[in-house]
Amino acid sequence: MKHKIITLISQIIANLFMIMFSITCIFPLVWMLYSSMKTQQEFSLDIISLPKVLHFDNFIAAIKVGKMHMFFGNSLFNSVISVILIILIGFIVAYFLSRYNFKLRNAVYVLFLFGMLVPVHSLLIPLFIQFKVLHLLDQRFTLIFPYVAFGLPMAVFLFESFIKSTPVEIEEAAYLDGGSTSTIIFKIVMPVCRPVISTILILSFLNSWNEFPFSLILLRKQSLKTIPIGLSNFNGQYTVNYPQLMAAMVIAVLPVIIIYLLFSKRVIEGMTAGSVKG
Amino acid sequence: MASKTLRPKGRVIAAYLAPGLLIYCFIVIIPLIISLIYSFYNYSGGASMKFIGLKNYQYLIKDMDFWNSFKNNLVIILLSMVGQVGIALVITALMISKLLKFKAIHRNIIFLPVVVSAIVVGFLWTIMYNKDYGLLNFVLKSVGLGSLIRPWLDNPKYVMFSVSMPIIWQYIGFYLVIFLSAVQGISPDIYESADLDGAVGIKRSVYITIPLLKDTLKVAVMLCIAGNMKIFDHIYVMTGGGPGTSSMVMAQYAYINSFIMFKLGYGSAISIGILVLSLTLILLSRKLWGGKDNEA
Repeated sequence: MKHKIITLISQIIANLFMIMFSITCIFPLVWMLYSSMKTQQEFSLDIISLPKVLHFDNFIAAIKVGKMHMFFGNSLFNSVISVILIILIGFIVAYFLSRYNFKLRNAVYVLFLFGMLVPVHSLLIPLFIQFKVLHLLDQRFTLIFPYVAFGLPMAVFLFESFIKSTPVEIEEAAYLDGGSTSTIIFKIVMPVCRPVISTILILSFLNSWNEFPFSLILLRKQSLKTIPIGLSNFNGQYTVNYPQLMAAMVIAVLPVIIIYLLFSKRVIEGMTAGSVKG
Repeated sequence: MASKTLRPKGRVIAAYLAPGLLIYCFIVIIPLIISLIYSFYNYSGGASMKFIGLKNYQYLIKDMDFWNSFKNNLVIILLSMVGQVGIALVITALMISKLLKFKAIHRNIIFLPVVVSAIVVGFLWTIMYNKDYGLLNFVLKSVGLGSLIRPWLDNPKYVMFSVSMPIIWQYIGFYLVIFLSAVQGISPDIYESADLDGAVGIKRSVYITIPLLKDTLKVAVMLCIAGNMKIFDHIYVMTGGGPGTSSMVMAQYAYINSFIMFKLGYGSAISIGILVLSLTLILLSRKLWGGKDNEA
């Protein structure tokens, strides 16, 4: 009897603690969401209350004045192109690394491993100089280069360990039937890798979408900037109008939240695999 | 495994690998070399470039602002070690103790901030720290702790604590899922025999799960060090390194030197400094942990 009561009490305490904890994790984001639909006056009178009427003027202002739609489009362009290239190139490199013992195999492997250890910020300055000399600053595709290069190591290692675990016999049979290397790679191996592809797709999309320092440094042209930069400009101009800033922030996080809500299991799995493997 | 039947020519392999290797070397390897070269020059972006040998490095070693920012990185690492890894461990222990309900929901909610961009988190917390419109002061006031209200981001004394909070808050979920996935890998047999021996509830977390998580813990500590050595976005948005240089971190310092003051040569030396310090710290933590058993 006494034992049961103790269990019950500890159950209540543990559950209460976790509920409180989860609330602190999610409430700031929920607060941002509903505050973005309040007028500035409403917000300054009472920061915590729910909006009386849902008020979308802040979003309209964020688009009209803050040009969030433009930054959104730029981020989308950069992310989509980068993701496609990361998957394609990463897959090819990983395929050869996992299937063949060519001369420089280990050198290539170590090269990509090294990329996971290099802190991005130690490359910002030389990359800026390099891009400046080659006139690659302020181009539509400027950011694609660093996004792909920094997405590659993770993609290569996830693909490599996956391909290694799949049997090689089908490929050998296809080869003996006269299939070319490209047929084998793209028609036979790639479809098998579908689960890994979706993991890499999600991870590299999130990384490209949220990336900040490269777009801060490599782009000066307003019309090319990405969403995180757009957001920091927006703040500079309208420091006082918090609901409007929050509307812009909601626009910035909407795609990642939607992806997370739809694929939370994959996102979580991918994040753990991607980081622990590295 | 490597196949003997499939054997395309070396030329074919090289052609397939070329795009990946080219773009990777162009963005990662060549800049590293450039960085090394420029760090021996006095260069501010114009046409004039003067070779000054090791002067940049001599200056860097004596540059108190640089070491102060390194110290701030260490402070964030320590606070995160306690905050992120520590809290994540506590929650992992609760999650496997059979006391909790709705575990998957809790896990999904706690992980949510991880996917949000650091810029948004930085802004969100700047607003939360705001004197008049901030959530934090509102909560403090409503629970009767109004006396604790501070200008959170404006006082050099506790600004490091204030900027670390959002970073900790954002990434607890990340360490939590790493620990949870490691726990799932532990064989249920161990728990069964533990049940027979009377190890239940929190006890079994402390005596069984956490010791078995040792390897994962190593990885988590290393990720924590590596992640916080390169912390930048949050600081850039919240304080820009201020007030003064009180919340300056290394990446922010390199940024200011190179792109605000246009000392690109010195900035390159700082970059190399960051690289060396980061790699040293990561290798050092590996050594310290791996000393007992010869793995990892």
